[in-house]
Amino acid sequence: MRLSGGLIDRSRTLRFIFDGKSYAGHPGDTLASALLANDVLLMGRSFKYHRPRGLIAAGSEEPNALVELRSGARREPNTRATMAELFDALEAQSQNRWPSLRFDAMAVNELFANFLTAGFYYKTFMWPRAFWEKLYEPAIRRAAGLGRLSMEADPDAYDKGFLHCDLLVVGAGAAGLAAALTAARGGAQVILADEDYHLGGRLLAESHSLDDRPATEWIAAVVAEFACLPNLRILPRTTVFGAFDHGVYGAVERVSDYRANPGICPRQTLWRITAKRTMLAAGATERHIPFMDNDRPGIMLGGALRAYANRWAVSPAKRVAIFTNNDDGHRTALDLLARGVEIAAVVDSRAGVEAKGQYRVISDAIVSGSKGRLGLRSIEVTRGGSTEWIACGALGVSGGWNPNVHLASHHRGRPVWNDSQQTFVPPAELPAGMIVAGAAAGRGTTHAALVSGAEAAVRVLNEIGIAATLPELPAAEDAPANLSPLWHVPGKHRAWIDFQNDVTVKDVKLSHQENMRSVEHLKRWTTLGMATDQGKTANVTALAVMAEMTGKGIAETGTTIFRPPYTPVSISVLGGGNTGTHFRPRRLTPSHQWATSQGAVFVEVGQWMRAQYFVRPGETHWRQSVDREVVATRKGVGICDVTTLGKVDVQGADAAEFLDRLYCNAMKSLKTGMVRYGLMLREDGQAWDDGTCARLGETHYVVTTTTANAGTVYRHMEFARQCLWPELDVQLISTTDAWAQFSVAGPNARKLLERIVDGFDLSNEAFRFMACANLSVCGGLRARVFRISFSGELAYEIAVPARYGNALMARLVELGQDLGATPYGTEALGVLRIEKGHAAGNELNGQTTAQMLGMGRMVSAKKDSVGAVMSRREGLLANTRVLVGLQPVDASEPVVAGSHLFAEGATQETATDQGWITSACFSPHVGSSIGLGFLADGAARQGEVIVAANPIQDQNVRLRVVSAHFVDPEGERLRA
Amino acid sequence: MPDLKPITALGGDTARRLHHGALELEENTELALASLALRRGATQPTLCGIDLPGPGAWALSDEIAAFWTGPDQWMVEGQNRADSDFASEVAALCPGCSVTQQTDGFAAFEIRSSAGETPILQLMAKLVNIDPIRFPSGSATRTGLEHMSVFVIRRAAHHIAILGMRSAAGSIWHALEKHILRIEDRKP
Amino acid sequence: MLIPHPLLGLRDAQEFSYLGDASLLDRPDGLAEKAGDAFFSYVYLRENPAGVHRELWFHEQGDRSWLVVTRNTVTHEILGAELARDVALRSRSPRERGDPA
Repeated sequence: MRLSGGLIDRSRTLRFIFDGKSYAGHPGDTLASALLANDVLLMGRSFKYHRPRGLIAAGSEEPNALVELRSGARREPNTRATMAELFDALEAQSQNRWPSLRFDAMAVNELFANFLTAGFYYKTFMWPRAFWEKLYEPAIRRAAGLGRLSMEADPDAYDKGFLHCDLLVVGAGAAGLAAALTAARGGAQVILADEDYHLGGRLLAESHSLDDRPATEWIAAVVAEFACLPNLRILPRTTVFGAFDHGVYGAVERVSDYRANPGICPRQTLWRITAKRTMLAAGATERHIPFMDNDRPGIMLGGALRAYANRWAVSPAKRVAIFTNNDDGHRTALDLLARGVEIAAVVDSRAGVEAKGQYRVISDAIVSGSKGRLGLRSIEVTRGGSTEWIACGALGVSGGWNPNVHLASHHRGRPVWNDSQQTFVPPAELPAGMIVAGAAAGRGTTHAALVSGAEAAVRVLNEIGIAATLPELPAAEDAPANLSPLWHVPGKHRAWIDFQNDVTVKDVKLSHQENMRSVEHLKRWTTLGMATDQGKTANVTALAVMAEMTGKGIAETGTTIFRPPYTPVSISVLGGGNTGTHFRPRRLTPSHQWATSQGAVFVEVGQWMRAQYFVRPGETHWRQSVDREVVATRKGVGICDVTTLGKVDVQGADAAEFLDRLYCNAMKSLKTGMVRYGLMLREDGQAWDDGTCARLGETHYVVTTTTANAGTVYRHMEFARQCLWPELDVQLISTTDAWAQFSVAGPNARKLLERIVDGFDLSNEAFRFMACANLSVCGGLRARVFRISFSGELAYEIAVPARYGNALMARLVELGQDLGATPYGTEALGVLRIEKGHAAGNELNGQTTAQMLGMGRMVSAKKDSVGAVMSRREGLLANTRVLVGLQPVDASEPVVAGSHLFAEGATQETATDQGWITSACFSPHVGSSIGLGFLADGAARQGEVIVAANPIQDQNVRLRVVSAHFVDPEGERLRA
Repeated sequence: MPDLKPITALGGDTARRLHHGALELEENTELALASLALRRGATQPTLCGIDLPGPGAWALSDEIAAFWTGPDQWMVEGQNRADSDFASEVAALCPGCSVTQQTDGFAAFEIRSSAGETPILQLMAKLVNIDPIRFPSGSATRTGLEHMSVFVIRRAAHHIAILGMRSAAGSIWHALEKHILRIEDRKP
Repeated sequence: MLIPHPLLGLRDAQEFSYLGDASLLDRPDGLAEKAGDAFFSYVYLRENPAGVHRELWFHEQGDRSWLVVTRNTVTHEILGAELARDVALRSRSPRERGDPA
């Protein structure tokens, strides 16, 4: 029912729908408070037993009232009704019930309650084994979980950002506001974050006055001053969910979650906050007292009842009872009375307690039962030997407050049990740079919170050289709780501790019987504390119950480990907002535009988009295009954009010596104006990367790498330069993007290039195979040419500044029309090099050596180079597998890369495995599929027929071992 | 002049521009770049009147600008000299140094605010993990932006430049555009 | 994590890539006798302490310096960082460093 007052805007009415029914509320309401205003108490069904449940809390610790918010693609399950700000046309559905909340068929689970206790799944569903996959698992999957996903793509936008500050204040209650005020006035860069949409924390929920005025007035004055302080950034609706290393914190800001339609505005933002110092002022969470049947809708935390009455002007019922073990319960009675709610009784477990106002107190008594399946109707009060039933529509339970020590414990510090306060306080070892204040530190009276917040701010700012002074703080209440511990009410039947995972006191006892002695095992055996609320209202009570059973005491029992996130964080926001094609960066080659206009189909190669093949009119299958490109290149001239291969510019007086140590083959002897193939080994002796090394000048080289290893080879080169041989005079810089580079290959390659070079002699005599030079093309454009061949044809690579790459590609194709100039993509590039027998990434997969590649003699024994020593290990040298060519005996059969090689007739198992196929393609030159692979003793087995096994596709193909050089084995075309 | 037509990093004939609120984003297609590294025994040159800046800094003279990129390494900028052989010009001024042409290695984007530094700071908070207070005018650093490595230069309080791999120009533009369009007039 | 770069101040660890134990700086002489044994240790054997560890980080999205960082592998506290080049040069003989005389 609605009460008067509260922080709601009654001038506007919002309509919302819950479970198909329409209701009204106001701005300032949450879905929870609006439902209570409409006398809706039943909001969900519990996880395991499907018991009718309602709210117990008013904040993010709520375990029961989880709803599916919104509909369609934006439907979000497991939304706490207490955290859903009400907006017009809000739609919500209750969860975990069928067909309806009032008549839930799965409540039949209650009849099997005795069989569904904690850990039941370790003992059931075992037999017969065959039933597991077909029957048990599907049934369990259907029954498990709470909410349903929409199964549609998330249409919202998400964002991320970076913030830096001197002081991060987590929590804008009394302590946090006092700290932020102190720090901001002192000139520090401050960030103040709170998960709520109003600043003020518990001050909003209580009826305390500050300096004899309502707390909201002080809050308003502080907020007004904040607006004038440019060094303070306020983040409302923001949960700081984790404390990471070195003062880095993760936070989620719910930017537009509360709006009906966010439009293009991001829904949530993930903030990485780097703070020199952090104050945890996250307040405390109240605990309840388990008793028999304590989970009926209408039974709530006492502090929540006050929050609903004071802040949201609602009460769950006209007549309310209180169950308490401390003075806090009486505060609830007074606040409710002041707002016209009838107090049936305050049941106080402590002896000799008197009423603090006009209400009945039953002292030295406990609540031992309740009635009202879909909503509380009465409670059973036991005092001494006698019991009494008291009619009431709601019960507020106050068992004490637990400081929210989570972030303080994210670095493996364990909270410390404080006996006098009967609660856990923050660990002695906090994350570096963190301080705790207010209720989170166990200093929870309003006065203590204000003072500890301000004082702590002064202290930490002093540590970082900022002088701040204590502000004048308003006078505030400082009343002690006078708590007398009562952890639960023993009884015959079930008393709930963890509402969300449906864990009872009996389950804790069972786990103890099953010899779960560590609190971590208690947690996993019972699943207590493992639901989406992470046991915020249950954990401490559970380990107190466990401590009773073991006789150890709470301090010795301890808590489980705290880990981020504090409350659930959506995967979408962790993703940072990049989706679809923009999920990761895309790199385009210089001729991308031209290639697109020519019908290229592109393929992802790491971050690059490379032309895979070019589709000509009439071509309907990729093989048509690729075969055509290969034939055209070997017959006329083909052009391919090879910009993606890594290029590193190497200069310095010791450049030659440096490169000689990086490559396993001799490189110091390379003359200016020449290029050499280079193989780099890993230090463990395996082959790593290959490429070319071109000497453009006395102390100027250009090193190329494979596309995939461009980054790692550069990193390795810098490692060698800075860490291994810092005494060498060498400078490095990457130039991969700076130069557009094209392979021009085929019998007409020279003729084509002669048409663009500015008077440069490209004849075989003047510019031999493996030569390189700086020159100019197309009327003065700076260029470089390298006479190297990957295809085995007469070939060159020509490089120009990247901005001219697109035009150069078009020009070459245009000028070479009569020469059969054909653009080719990565597929044809692959076929050409396989036909030639050139190793590439597939052959250099980290499991092969120079010896296996047939390059054993390239590894110079005359010098030390990376990997040389280890490459001579016996184990590596004993490997007889070498690179061979493979061709099917039956030309219509395929060669499949990845197949393993066996002798004909051998049983196919690891012991008889003789190698594997690394690369395969259709070869127009050969007229069948061909492949490259490593075969044991391959050099001596030329002409032999072996079997390639592909058990995944149930294939066995007979292959003939041939030379890896299918095309021009003598290398005549190269040197033409 | 070569008879080939160059294209911009974004694949166009002219520089791309975007104007939104107080922010203007512009592709800087006329910026020449050359990397400069000291060889052993070389003394640090003075280039066109500027002392090569120290770690984290960017310096400007009438003709050129330069920023520190690593120990004994700098990047030299030459506005409106993108078509020249800038590396050779710089090399001539810096004997005993290793100079490499970098003009076409990078796509450069200038972002200017017409409403003071606030929009620039709001934008930086979404793009890079740099504390703006420790990044005043005359600062330059390399850092990560949406998984890409970029140089960020604070040319003035209201003006930053982003230099990233030319091949990723489209991805960089997309990231800058996305965040610029989201900047509202709100207190930072 | 934040790495205290000796020239640039505190930087986000995401700008770096990690290589491993700083013992990688002490590459054995490949032409010496028993080089095989020395390289075996160099490539494969590590102390792998739970505690203070000297390790190599590469400022890939930064100034491309290699750093030797002293970090506690249990608490992640970073006790210091220096340019790997400086560490490597210190352990060389004067002749190797290229010093005159």
